[in-house]
Amino acid sequence: MYCRSWSVIIFFLALAVGEIAGAGNNPGPRQTGAQRRLAAVPINDFALTDQQAAPFELRNLAGQVLIVAFAYTTCPDVCPLITASLRQVQIGLTREERKQVHLLTVTTDPEIDAPKVLSAYGKRYGADFDNWSFLTGEVSALRKVWQNFGVGVKRKGRGLVDHTPLTAVVDQKRLMRFAYVGPSPDSKAVLHDIRALLLEW
Amino acid sequence: MLRVDPVTWFGFARIFFFLIGLVACGRNARMDMLYAERCIACHGPGGRGDGALAASLPSAPPDFRDTVQGKSNNQIRRIIAEGRGLMPAFEPALRPAEITDMLQMVRFLSREGRDLAWWERFDTLVVAHCNIPWETVLGYDEPTDTKKP
Repeated sequence: MYCRSWSVIIFFLALAVGEIAGAGNNPGPRQTGAQRRLAAVPINDFALTDQQAAPFELRNLAGQVLIVAFAYTTCPDVCPLITASLRQVQIGLTREERKQVHLLTVTTDPEIDAPKVLSAYGKRYGADFDNWSFLTGEVSALRKVWQNFGVGVKRKGRGLVDHTPLTAVVDQKRLMRFAYVGPSPDSKAVLHDIRALLLEW
Repeated sequence: MLRVDPVTWFGFARIFFFLIGLVACGRNARMDMLYAERCIACHGPGGRGDGALAASLPSAPPDFRDTVQGKSNNQIRRIIAEGRGLMPAFEPALRPAEITDMLQMVRFLSREGRDLAWWERFDTLVVAHCNIPWETVLGYDEPTDTKKP
């Protein structure tokens, strides 16, 4: 009798452990938005190449709020959502705000993303290149930028890259203040952050 | 010792390419891999527009069973190569043969669970036909002997 009751307890314990383990394996529904985090990371100057194959230097945007996204053009995952959100941010800016805000999309796949490819990509999203630059460059130069923003980049194959889906809001003093991590950063929240920084300045 | 002249070798090469084209008709692991890497997140495992990312998109991806039937191979190839809406343009990253693989995969998925019209059964052969380097097989690219008077 004693032995039998123990075996029943062990059976139910095993069932419970199985349930917990099973729940841990279940990925659940995929996150649809980006998480907004506060940050305080100093951003260094960098020099890259824009979508018109012209040299780009960050120091030329002194005194402007920057929205910096990391994406690549052949991404079949979150990058299209990030770029579409950035376009919504650009549309949401007033004419006056556009002079004080610059959007940057930094590629995570320089092997594919030549200036011409980036230009076609930007046009497909309706980007206004007046205050939105799509940047590429040598891997060594890009790696420094990725590291500065804390973006991990891992090449999986031709035109396939794993990377941190970061959209950063950088203030006029070159300090990353907000980090949106994930697909589809909420354009309204980004616009709110931009306006808060413009008021601070 | 059997000696084969270059013209005969060229003939063998033509037959070889022709056979490769025919063998390439079926769904293969390369197509599945390409689809899993580049398409499945939005279009879903069966091409029904129910991928993991579909809910995040501003408009739902199409169900291949509804949309692919009415499109020519060239139209589908152009969408894969140049992108559409939020779908990326894959041409910079993929070789033409890989785009053909994607095209065939889309055709395969569009047929699943449907009663096929009899002419659609030949789609695979049509795609394979387009994939054969006919210039090489038929010798169109051979320089012609032009004898000037």
